[in-house]
Amino acid sequence: MSTILSVRGLTKKFGGLTAVNNVDFNLPAGELHAIIGPNGAGKTTFFNLVSGFLPPSAGRVVFDGQDITGMPTHRISRLGMARTLQVKSVFNGLSVYDNVWIAAHSRHRFLHPLKSARTYGATADDAAQALAAVELTSRASELAGNLAYGDVALLEIAIAIAMKPKLLLLDEPVAGMSPEETRRTVRKIKELARSVNILLIEHDMETVFEIADRITVMTQGEVLCQGTAREIANDPRVQEAYLGVPEDD
Amino acid sequence: MPPTPPTATRDPLPFIAGLVAAIFLLVAPWLLPRFVPDFWVSIIAEMLIWGLFASSANLLLGYTGLLSFGQSLYFGFGAYGVAFAIHGFKLGVLPAFFIGVAAATAIAAVAGFFAVRLTWHYFAIITVVFSLIFYLIAVGWKTVTGGDDGMSFALPPLAQFGDIELTLLDATFQYYFILAIVAACFFLQWLLLRSPLGMAFKAVRENATRAGLIGFNPYLIRLISFILSGLLAGVAGALFALFSRYASAHYMYWTVSGEAVVWTIVGGTGTLFGPIVGAVVLTIMREELSTVWEHYLIVVGVIVILMVTFAPKGILGSIAAWRTARRVTPGGPAATGGKGTQE
Repeated sequence: MSTILSVRGLTKKFGGLTAVNNVDFNLPAGELHAIIGPNGAGKTTFFNLVSGFLPPSAGRVVFDGQDITGMPTHRISRLGMARTLQVKSVFNGLSVYDNVWIAAHSRHRFLHPLKSARTYGATADDAAQALAAVELTSRASELAGNLAYGDVALLEIAIAIAMKPKLLLLDEPVAGMSPEETRRTVRKIKELARSVNILLIEHDMETVFEIADRITVMTQGEVLCQGTAREIANDPRVQEAYLGVPEDD
Repeated sequence: MPPTPPTATRDPLPFIAGLVAAIFLLVAPWLLPRFVPDFWVSIIAEMLIWGLFASSANLLLGYTGLLSFGQSLYFGFGAYGVAFAIHGFKLGVLPAFFIGVAAATAIAAVAGFFAVRLTWHYFAIITVVFSLIFYLIAVGWKTVTGGDDGMSFALPPLAQFGDIELTLLDATFQYYFILAIVAACFFLQWLLLRSPLGMAFKAVRENATRAGLIGFNPYLIRLISFILSGLLAGVAGALFALFSRYASAHYMYWTVSGEAVVWTIVGGTGTLFGPIVGAVVLTIMREELSTVWEHYLIVVGVIVILMVTFAPKGILGSIAAWRTARRVTPGGPAATGGKGTQE
């Protein structure tokens, strides 16, 4: 099995604080992988380093065989990495359809300044497919800013898959969702995982154990352990990281 | 799966309004002198130029999310380009026009290279600073630019066919010359705003972070928008120089840039024709009020403050929003998704 994402010695220091410390991480293609860990474990910083939001203090990131360390976000995105943000981020003032249309069209290197956007058949197909994949087709003409929270999160995922990425990074995809919205989103993520590599950060343990093939646990900027849901659930180090050291007499 | 872009229900009103405006503009030189003094034809030509100038601020503010207070710089370069070409190099009208536009576009590329790294107030400040630098140079270098007095030039004929001479000194021909170029600029903007590049402008306006995450370089998109905006302001400046037969440092001052922003906001930021509506309304108001009361700018200021506070979408934006809201039947979704005629 090939490796889609490979990270070596990745480190990020903010002044005296080491947010991510010498992390090695391999993501084999074809796997739905989750990163969990208590608050402040460095999960989102890790995502920010991988997706180019932050330059690392040390270490290398190799994506799909290409060294992307220090590349700007838009170039990494063009190589096939899509990402959602913890604070849901869509184009509020555009219609739902235009949100996915522009994402589907982003792989065109030349943006025609005079030809109507509606004449691009392949882009329109991809946009329609992405909307259908998250069941937002009926909302296509609404303004993204008018959607309910759960739908915004799904739209953000649709924007990501409209890019036809090789790797999809999801940052807390079900945070703040109602139980119903969570069920719907989890079902969608499972469906998507059949066609795209997914790496996600999540606080909700139930969700993580339900959908992840494998799990990485981070604490204090370092990788604590890796394994299947069962292995992680039974690992005493994980229990300690989350619940503290048991005070036996 | 077939491509299914949302089909907005065709709204006839903007089309009818546009048709009426177009017919009026086409027959104005024939129609107006029957009712009002002749100079109103020239006033309309001038308002078209200022509307085009305001639309350059709107391309940045309304479609790319950048507030520029420095559009006068590109207007001034357009005007001085024409003046130097005709006065200094004895060139014809059309070569001079293109030199003016090229000069404005070039300086916009230079200023934009630095400015688009910033957003919001920092961006606004750097655009002002750029225009002030060149304003001060133009004011100080009186021997070349004429400073605030400006440099006048004699207008050569545009073209000659045997005995027939086409010249902008003919008020009617000048009017149609200006109308044709302004109309062409708005037509190109209309094409641009529905094109993939226009969509990318709007994506950067709405969310630059997300635009970067789907693979667009926000700086490059902003720079392209900035240069195109400088080009439009340059066309307006070049037309204004041909119209008034002179160029002056006065038109490079930042208050001129400010007017472009005010006209845009009053007319409707992010609407294609808002800037022209704003320019027309406020110019007429100025013409009429200034004859009655010398402190007429106070009235204009109050109107702008009320507008920004209570109708921040401007005249066209508010009409569009009001009509969209009326179309939404209670309990049913908006047929046009709230976009209405605004785009």
